[in-house]
Amino acid sequence: MRSREGAGRAPPLSALGLGKTFGAEDGRPVGVIGSVSFDLGEGEIVSIVGPSGCGKTTLLNLICGLLPPTVGSVLWHGRELAGVPPRVGYMLQKDLLLPWRTAMQNVTLGLEVRQVNRRERRAMAHRLLDRLGLGDFADYYPSALSGGMRQRVALARTFASDPEVLLLDEPFSALDFQTKILIERDTARLVRSERRSLLLITHDVEEAVSLSDRVIVLSHRPCTVVSQHHIDLPGDRTDMMAMRERPEFARTVRKIWTELDIR
Amino acid sequence: MTTPAVLPAPSRPSRWWGQPRTSRQRLRRRSMLQVALCQLLLLGIVLGLWEWGTQGAGVNAFLFGSPSVIAAQLLAMVKDGSIWADAWVTGLETLGGFVLGNLLGTVLGLSLWFSRFISRVVQPFVLALGSVPIVALAPIAIIWFGTGFASKLAMATLSVVVVALVVAYKGALGVDPDQVNLMRSLGASRRQIFRLLVLPASLTDIFAGLKLTVGFALVGAIVGEFMSSSEGLGHAIFKAGSLYAISKVFAALAVTVALALVLSAVVSRVERALLPWRHDFN
Ligand SMILES: Nc1ncnc2c1ncn2[C@@H]1O[C@H](COP(=O)(O)OP(=O)(O)O)[C@@H](O)[C@H]1O
Ligand SMILES: [Mg+2]
Repeated sequence: MRSREGAGRAPPLSALGLGKTFGAEDGRPVGVIGSVSFDLGEGEIVSIVGPSGCGKTTLLNLICGLLPPTVGSVLWHGRELAGVPPRVGYMLQKDLLLPWRTAMQNVTLGLEVRQVNRRERRAMAHRLLDRLGLGDFADYYPSALSGGMRQRVALARTFASDPEVLLLDEPFSALDFQTKILIERDTARLVRSERRSLLLITHDVEEAVSLSDRVIVLSHRPCTVVSQHHIDLPGDRTDMMAMRERPEFARTVRKIWTELDIR
Repeated sequence: MTTPAVLPAPSRPSRWWGQPRTSRQRLRRRSMLQVALCQLLLLGIVLGLWEWGTQGAGVNAFLFGSPSVIAAQLLAMVKDGSIWADAWVTGLETLGGFVLGNLLGTVLGLSLWFSRFISRVVQPFVLALGSVPIVALAPIAIIWFGTGFASKLAMATLSVVVVALVVAYKGALGVDPDQVNLMRSLGASRRQIFRLLVLPASLTDIFAGLKLTVGFALVGAIVGEFMSSSEGLGHAIFKAGSLYAISKVFAALAVTVALALVLSAVVSRVERALLPWRHDFN
């Protein structure tokens, strides 16, 4: 086990020289991730943007322990863990709701896995669904909910296990603009009010800049970090429309766009 | 531009699907009635032509039977109670084989999900077993299990088990890998992933398999009865056939069809009760 001692506390999550090559065993290796290093601080929102197919999803799966890296390591509070780390929330573009469970039962899935008792599970789920404006829909099956509502249920499921670090992979990219802005705001509120850390993968530069404290830009495959931008927008960081109106916003978005090297 | 301070209240679902749903249902009910009427009409025409043909239009009633004689035959079978006795015996064999075969096949098929290695080892054997024509197994079943109930149960079970196994295994493998990853990210063990995700996700396929195998079980039972038996619908058909009592054959056949329909209807009912989410909203 490796650990990183040093000045101050270790960040909740750091990636050290992560790399992934697929298919090395059948002699046709495909390098997907070159070498990626970054830290995610406590209470920090970091977005990773990169061209399509550059390995963002793969990177998230490495961090989450769902795939083993070819080189490098992932540290949680300075320590390397085997397998899936505890207290992470993982969410994808697909809501992955189980159709045979009601909204409420989907939210409590992670608590059921951890064998939290039924009363507590339901209380937690009701609290989250209420906060996300879905209080009246707790007993609906997913097939009766709209896309935005379903993604909110998925968000509630992600927050239900009280994660310290959230790993979100393009969670809002299938939603229409208005729904997206609202759910981004809800996400920002849930993350910032409880000082959780969020790593958001997205191809939407405006979403990245309006939501995050820092944006990391990745190159084409095999991807490496091109640049990092600290986003210093004044005002209420959970107000997505207000963020988008600032002059610094447009400047930063344009800068990141040029670095993205979309071919 | 400003953001709304509160989420727009999502509209009440009862309102936005209530209206179109009832009118659609009304439409569906009407077309169902029309379909049923046409079906009755078609049946009437076929039976009418058949009766007319055998009443002197040159069709040999001895070889082809006739609806009126078949109906009389059915009535006689009801009166002497043989219809219930035979249907009961065959129904029991079918149901027993159906339950046993599906239980066995489903448990084996789902358990293969736990080990890719074992599933790859047994794959060719399953395929080989699946390609054996069930009729060819009847002599073996009779040698091993005798000429009574047990051999018919074995035949019905064998007709079901491989299909049930393949269906359950395919269902388990068809689970979205992203969904499995999500369960892993929630810290689920392999057993929890099975119980909370794989098993319920496979139920849709398993029930499709149940509908299919109810017929297979009946075929297995009837084939078993053909080979050697002293009761059951297969026995009645075989005996009547060897005596050239065509109307009796048709009568027993009609009872067999009715039995198949009843059993499928029961399976559909059970599916509706167990998988409510599949029927609630479409
Ligand atoms: N299991 C795998 N085996 C081989 N190649 C893979 C595998 N998973 C992903 N890839 C490849 O890695 C590349 C990056 O994929 P992905 O991480 O999904 O990109 P992104 O999320 O940035 O769009 C793609 O070209 C994809 O084909
Ligand atoms: Mg991706």
